[in-house]
Amino acid sequence: MAKKQAFVYLGSLGLALSLASLPAWSADDWAEEGDWGSDWEEPEEPLLPFRVGGFIEAAGGAHIYSNPVVENRMDKEYNLGEARLRLEIDGDWKEIGYSLKADGLADAVDEELRGELREALISTSTGPVDWRAGRQVLTWGTGDLLFINDLFPKDWQSFLIGRDEDYLKGPSDAIRGTWYAGEVTVDAVWSPLFQEDNYPDGDRLSYYNPMAGGQTAQPISDQASEPDDFPEDGEAALRLATRQAGIEYAAYGYWGFWPEPNDSSKVAGGGKLEHPELYVYGASLRTSLGSGLFNAEAGYYDSRDYDSQQANMTPNSEARFLMGYDWELVTNLNVGLQYYLEWTQDHDDLTTDMAGEEYRQLLTTRLTYRQWRGDLVWSLFAFVSPSDEDYYLRPSATYRVSDALTLSAGGNIFGGENNYSFFGQFEKDSNLYARARYRF
Amino acid sequence: MKMNFLKTATGLLGGATLMLSSSLIMAAPPVQEIIEKANQASYYAGQDGRAEARMKIEDKNGRTQTRQFTVLRKDVEGSDQQNYLVVFSRPSEYRDTVFLVHKKPQAGDDRWLYLPDLDLVRRIAPGDKRTSFVGAHVYYEDISGRNLNQDEHQLVEETDDQYVLKSTPKNPGEVEFASFQTWIDKETWLPMRIEYTDDEGEVYRIMENAGVEVVDGYPTPMMMRVQDLESGGQTIVQFRGASYDLGIPDSVFTERSLRNPPSDWLERR
Repeated sequence: MAKKQAFVYLGSLGLALSLASLPAWSADDWAEEGDWGSDWEEPEEPLLPFRVGGFIEAAGGAHIYSNPVVENRMDKEYNLGEARLRLEIDGDWKEIGYSLKADGLADAVDEELRGELREALISTSTGPVDWRAGRQVLTWGTGDLLFINDLFPKDWQSFLIGRDEDYLKGPSDAIRGTWYAGEVTVDAVWSPLFQEDNYPDGDRLSYYNPMAGGQTAQPISDQASEPDDFPEDGEAALRLATRQAGIEYAAYGYWGFWPEPNDSSKVAGGGKLEHPELYVYGASLRTSLGSGLFNAEAGYYDSRDYDSQQANMTPNSEARFLMGYDWELVTNLNVGLQYYLEWTQDHDDLTTDMAGEEYRQLLTTRLTYRQWRGDLVWSLFAFVSPSDEDYYLRPSATYRVSDALTLSAGGNIFGGENNYSFFGQFEKDSNLYARARYRF
Repeated sequence: MKMNFLKTATGLLGGATLMLSSSLIMAAPPVQEIIEKANQASYYAGQDGRAEARMKIEDKNGRTQTRQFTVLRKDVEGSDQQNYLVVFSRPSEYRDTVFLVHKKPQAGDDRWLYLPDLDLVRRIAPGDKRTSFVGAHVYYEDISGRNLNQDEHQLVEETDDQYVLKSTPKNPGEVEFASFQTWIDKETWLPMRIEYTDDEGEVYRIMENAGVEVVDGYPTPMMMRVQDLESGGQTIVQFRGASYDLGIPDSVFTERSLRNPPSDWLERR
């Protein structure tokens, strides 16, 4: 008994001693400049008048099912095989900033070397207005991989074959003015020429062709014409945003064209698929709710060229709506849920089964689990449509080996009851991919 | 005479009371006062401030990553609210990434992250505060401070130059620690060490401040270290170019700065 007490006493003495010696220990052990003492990045003395950066990336991906229509056309069983060099330059000259992001690609699928200009813009400010002119990536709206009021160009093909998610957003050639007027922020974007989406085109992905009545890989773009008259075939987009009592509100407008060539009314007469005129008006809100974030967004798609006499061949007007909630379920595991609705306005005019339901509904789940302080990220994004009876799963794992090197692998898995539904048509395009990116 | 006696007696009594109360002052101030002063010294020095920071993130295998950024901070007058703007310069993956916090201890913080590659302003859910800040062992909550009212505080020890406080969460389900203990410097009121204890009573996370310098009249730690004893990794944060009371305008802490960082205030002066 006495012995035990003595131990306790010694123990607390030891604790007291170790506490007393703490400050000296901490100062000596780590609070020195150490081996990285002169390693601050010095923006004051750059070697060049601009900053240079970028990455090199290797990416490969292959179908998991036999997909003859694409394989026969491409003569390949893989739909992603490329090495990419990204060069980024940015700097300032007087009051004008400039930025250039360019990719050089060696593409084994297309068997070609090509350059892609991702960004080439100048920026400046005049009082409360910030301007950006040139090629730029534009994004707004509140959805997660669901876009209602964001009609800026998307590269669905890159997204579906396993390129980095950043490439889902294609660049626009546009002028953007952002006016910070106190409580309200006004964004106005004008693109002198309409830029379509890079939709699944038969280039690397097969799709359901109602004309052919089955799965094809014939490039749609060969049979489509884009609005390309300057300046009447331009696009304009507007956003008004404000924040009141922690809630972010926004109103949107878009004046342009459908991003896909979905007007086939001239095809029977030997014409091409067209992008009919589209105006979109919408609104969104985003706020913290409980320990998570809630968002809701709606938009009315006013299809200007809709012709009820040719309802199956011209796109209907639609009302679109989404709401979502995102929260941390347990530490490092985030869950995002979304409900999405597409309401076809004159559904009664349609006479084909393939038109889908009047109310197309979609549920999405994003699960993100971060390990090792985010060096390893597991993610699963799932689209499930109860009305179309189809799904699209995007599992992925990303490992940040170092500040320079990131490895990722994942898949794009499609399935459904019908071979013509939105996701179901891509079942044979299901693929797995891997990427390695080295930044410099 | 009687009057005089009364006076003397009152005087003596008064003196005795004074002695008593001064001996009380010599003893530790109430816990609430200590924790508020420590919070003030850590997060509220000056009306506003700026500092450059770099972090060395080491995992248990000794592999390191680096982050470098500039922090601007301004208090909202007449409240405990604050605004923070963090602009990253490296590594290249994080360059021009901007983090904006409107800290509202009573209501929950509003936080936004700007991703330049997508020109996207992402709002961060208020819940996930005790998770890694840009890959470091430092948590989001370590950067902008934890609401004092979320924990019960108790003075467990007083040494010649430090107060030792034990803090226990009011809602244990919300956090990963069972309690934490803070060593607060009596002179500067800066918390010099915080140890986080898990349900088994084991210390698994240690946060330390060091290299305190007086900058513009405010004692400022120029080094900080967070050790994760479970994974065996640590992050060392080093500050430089700190300055206070610069007169940073409120407009710096708005959405405009996410897309167009305020270089006038980010550059060292």
